[in-house]
Parts: sequence; C-alpha cells; structure tokens
Amino acid sequence: MGSEGETLFVGTMDGRVIAVNAGGGTLWTWEPPAESGGSSIIACGGGGQFRAGMLYGSPVVSDGVLYVSSYNGRVYAIDAEKRYDIWKYDTGSPIAGGVAVANSTVFVGSSDGRLYALEANATMGKGSLKQGFEPFQTGDKIWSTPAVQDGIVYFGSLDQKLYALDSITGELIWEFPAAGAITSTPLIVDGVVYIGAFDSKFYALDAYTGDEKWVFEEADNWFWSKAVYANGTVYACSLDQRVYAIDAESGNLASGWVEPFDAGGDLKSAPVIVDNVLVVATEKGKLFGIDIKTGKSRWPDSIDLEVNVLSPLFASGDTFYVNAQDNRIYAFEGATGRQNWSIPLSE
Amino acid sequence: MPKTRNIVFLLLLVLVFLFAGGIVSPVELFDIVILQPMLNFLVLLTKVFFGSFGLAIIILTILVRVLTIPLTLKQMRSSRAMQELQPKIKELQKKYAKNKEKLAPEIQKLYKEYGVNPFGCAMPMLAQFPIWIGLYQSVIQGLGYAPENLFGLSKQLYSWSVIQEQVPLDSHFLGLDLGSGNLIMAILVAVSMWVLQKMSASPSADPSQQSMQRMLLWIMPLMFGFLALSFPSGLSLYWLLTNIITVLIQYRVSGWGSLQKPSLAALKGGPPRQVKAPENITGDSRDTDDGKDQVASQPEESGGVAAAGGEKKSVDKEAGPRRKKVGHGKHRGKRKVRRRSN
Repeated sequence: MGSEGETLFVGTMDGRVIAVNAGGGTLWTWEPPAESGGSSIIACGGGGQFRAGMLYGSPVVSDGVLYVSSYNGRVYAIDAEKRYDIWKYDTGSPIAGGVAVANSTVFVGSSDGRLYALEANATMGKGSLKQGFEPFQTGDKIWSTPAVQDGIVYFGSLDQKLYALDSITGELIWEFPAAGAITSTPLIVDGVVYIGAFDSKFYALDAYTGDEKWVFEEADNWFWSKAVYANGTVYACSLDQRVYAIDAESGNLASGWVEPFDAGGDLKSAPVIVDNVLVVATEKGKLFGIDIKTGKSRWPDSIDLEVNVLSPLFASGDTFYVNAQDNRIYAFEGATGRQNWSIPLSE
Repeated sequence: MPKTRNIVFLLLLVLVFLFAGGIVSPVELFDIVILQPMLNFLVLLTKVFFGSFGLAIIILTILVRVLTIPLTLKQMRSSRAMQELQPKIKELQKKYAKNKEKLAPEIQKLYKEYGVNPFGCAMPMLAQFPIWIGLYQSVIQGLGYAPENLFGLSKQLYSWSVIQEQVPLDSHFLGLDLGSGNLIMAILVAVSMWVLQKMSASPSADPSQQSMQRMLLWIMPLMFGFLALSFPSGLSLYWLLTNIITVLIQYRVSGWGSLQKPSLAALKGGPPRQVKAPENITGDSRDTDDGKDQVASQPEESGGVAAAGGEKKSVDKEAGPRRKKVGHGKHRGKRKVRRRSN
C-alpha cells in the first residue's frame, strides 16, 4: 500500500492497483496491460495458485507518478491522476519486493539477483536503465525492497548479504555478510541501518561504513519484515511469533518492556506505529495494538479478522490499513482498534 | 499377522484419540512426523554434499525409494496377481450374471483359493503415499522459489544453525535452475513416464480396458510433462528419478512388459506364448533364468487362464513342464515353491 495525500493505492494479488479515498470509496482501478511474452506469464505456486502478475511490493507514488513492481518481472510507471501507463520495464525475472524512488531514479531488485536503477522520467513507452548505473549483480534473488538515504541505496539479498551502493554510479560502497538470507527492507535512522536476517539475528550497522554496531541474538526464528522505529527503540517482528523492542543504542531489550510481546502467531507483515501504538498482525489475521513504551496491550481486545494477513500494514494519520487475503482492505483507528470501514477489492 | 493387525489397530486408535481430542490436527501430525524430518534431512544433505540441493534431492529420492522397495514390490506383485485373476473373475461374473448374491462369495472364494488379497495392492500404495507427499513437499518447500514457499519453510526447519545457515538452498544444479521450469527436464519426465506406463500396462483382451490403457499411456506423460514445465525443475528432478527407479523395480518384477517387442510367432499369428503362473499369486516371486521375478502375465491372445480345478490351483495349469530352477546368490538351491495349505 502507498499513499499520496488522501488517496491510498492498494496493490492486489491479482496484479491490480486500486485507488481508495480516506472514506473507503474506490476511486479507480488500474490493471496491467494484457500482453504476451515476457517472463513468468504463467507460474504455478506450491499451492497450485496462478501467480502471473501478482503484486508483492507496495505501490509508490512520487511526483504524481505511481510506480508498481510485479511478479511478472515488470515495473510500471502510471500517471496517478490520468491513469495511463507512462512506461514499463521488464527485468526478465519475478519481482517479489517493492520499488524505492529517489532523485528521479526507481530502484528495484529482481529474482535474477540484480538491483536495477531505472530512469523515473523515461519518455512514453519503454522504460530505461539509469545512465551510468549498471544493474548490480548479487549472488541470489533480491526480494528485499530497497531503501535510499543520503545518496546510498541499501538492500538485502537471499545471498545473505546487505549491500550499500552509490545511488548515482551503482558502485559498491560496502557489503555486510549476515549468516542468513535477507528479505526485509532496511530501516535507516540517524546514520544506522537496522536489518534482520534468516539467521534469527537483528543487526545495527553504520550506514556509511557497514561496521557492525551491535547484534541482537534473542530471537528463535527468522526476521522477515521491516522493523519500525520510535523514540530510540527499534521494534522488530520475528517468525518466532514475538515482537522485540530493542534499544537502538545498546542493542539490548528495551527496559520499558518486561518481555517480548508474544503474538501467538507468525509475524510476516511489517508492523506500523500509530498514536504510540505498535500494531502487529499475525499470519492468521490477529491484530494487536501494543503500547510502545510498556509492551502491554493497548486495545481492550485483539482483533481477529479470521483471514490471512501477509502484506505489510500501512499507516496514515491516526488510521492503519490492512490488506487481507480475503481481498478486502480494512481501516482501523490506531489508538482504539475500532474498525472504521472495510471494502472489497474485487467486483 | 494378527500381531501386525493389533499394532495397526492400536495406532489407528491413538490417531483417532489425538485428532478427536484436538491435540493435534492431521496436517500438524504429518508435518511433525514426516515432512519436518524429511525436509531437515534434505537440508542437511545439501550441507554435506557441498551445498548442492540438486545432489541432495537425488540422494534423498534414492534413499526413500530404496527404503520403500518392499512396499513397492508388494504392491506391484499384488497388482499383477489381481490382473491374472481378472479372466476368472469375468467368467464368474458371466456365470452368475443373474445371481448377484452368489457372485460376491464366489469371488471371495476365488481370492481365497489363489491366496490373493484384493487390498494387497492398495495397502502398500496407501502406506507409501504420505512418504511420497512428504518428499514432494520437501522438494517444493526446500526450493522456496516464491515468497510464500520460503515463508512456509521457516515453520518446518529445526532451529539448528547448521540448517538455518543453508537457507536459501542453492537452486543451481548441472546448468539447471531448480527453481524454474525446464523444457528438457519436462521432456525427460514425460518420456520416463511413458516408459513406465508402457511397462506396467497389462495385456488385456478387453477392448475397453485396452482403450483405457492406450489413453493413459499418452495422457499421463503429457500431463506430467506439462506439470514439469510449469513447476520448478527441482520437482522434475524428483519425478524423473522416481520414474527411473520405478522402471527398474518394474523391470525386476515383470520385465519390460508391453515395451518388449512381440515374438515372431505372435506376429505371425502363431500359438500364444504360455507364461507360467506363480505358485503363490500373492506376490511371492520366483527367480528365473534372466534374474527377474517371474510373475505370470496373461498372454494377449490367450483370452483367459485355464479353468480352476482341483483343490490347489495355479493360474495356468496348462502351462508346460515347470522350468528347472536356476537360482543364484544365497538362495541358490534353497528356494522352495510355496503352496498355500488350508
């Protein structure tokens, strides 16, 4: 999910983007153009599901242009107002992460292991690579959404490394080897990169040198999703079903929390912070509102959507949004957990 | 046998108690007992075999198939034995066409006379199903080729660092990307499936059965070929290997089957080749000159087996004089022809 002003842009698992206003009204729907050729037009998943053109990554809006990365390997640039396709670029391999846009450049990682820098202002039709930035090859698939800050683009790869590249030239500034694959989006705060890996460790690295500041080793399973930060504390969800509040300076468990919060379910979705409430969602659709200072529940009860939630949560103002697997989007008040509305994403 | 039955009964009782009591769901039990040990062993094998997931798939497939050979053999032999009895069953069906009530006991009697258990081919196959599904799931989940597969893998892996560090598994093997479909692998899967279908097809005089077999001969390879093209080639590698091993076992049980060219005599319309029936049709095999298990096969032209008669019957009493046994290995001269006794 992405937003611009009062408009939310929701990517669906069947490859559409739906623009929704703050009141829950559908404004318009974009569908990828029907075409033949390209990569992964048909691919069957483990469950036999049809995966052509799924949108795993969140749409991003920048300067009135909506950027969408699809599992069919393509990146689309769409005029967010007039809703026509400006350009598309085919990486030739499935894209399971989202895009990052900075300085007229669209950064996206692909399953061919390359990080691409695309010209955001490409002319109508075909997208193009950013001049002077050759696609950067890693040792395995890139499923992580890149993050850009201070002229450096950060991203993880399934080759178990975190990379930092010059966002203009594409030159490698540093790389950090973890002991497990990295799928989450790096969190960058005050010159520090925070990232969790499949080695069940959560790292804090110097953003400019890649030097390890501290490593948190108390989790029992992988870190899949992006962490969030507030008031000197990093909140990270692990697939061991627990939420960890880590002191950003020391790397120890935050003193305000008696113990990590046990959600009782796998935490794949990235959490959000709304009105000092940390909202987390389990894979099975249970939502918890946690006080960021104490680690205790803030809502009277948890919310059970009774449907799988795998997409990152999204927050805007005092509201958070859930893109659930029942093809509906739900809007809740962050402070109380009260549901504002829900709408179907299909006819 | 009663002891085995008791154990199976006790096992079923425990399962019913576990499921009904909500202690564990069938899926959870499958994951804990079969999938997780198999998947983690696959990851360990990958570590041992120089990080090659392809090699690990090959080793695990061979291991599992070898360990389940007794069950596979039992199933194949029982299946052959049942095929052998079909003409006799048809005769009974004709004979008792107007007396359905008598038909069932007569068929049961026939089974008893020849020592055939009608569930003899189904039970070993059913017993192997969870293992095959476990192996299939291990390969699919181990590859983690899409985000949800990799996410699923996190729930199945043990928290040992030696295992966690292997993820994601290297999907490249002999120039193949095991995570993507591959045309050559798809063709190999289809061809091996065709060979297997051709070998296991039993000659039949029944036109409808013949037509069904002809259809299956092409549909199965085409279907698996298409699936192999759509699914990751790591799975194709598993299918191909499974087919090859099954072909070898099938060859051991019944030779080349329908793959073998018909004899000159048969082509000229000469007398059908008489194949001796096993003494014990339940699947106890006999070594023959060519080293293969000899299980009676129904000659296509014969149209049926000899009529039953006498207290102890073999499928074709009209077969020529029994061949002199030429055993080999440790069974040389020791193997006895077993007969059922009432």
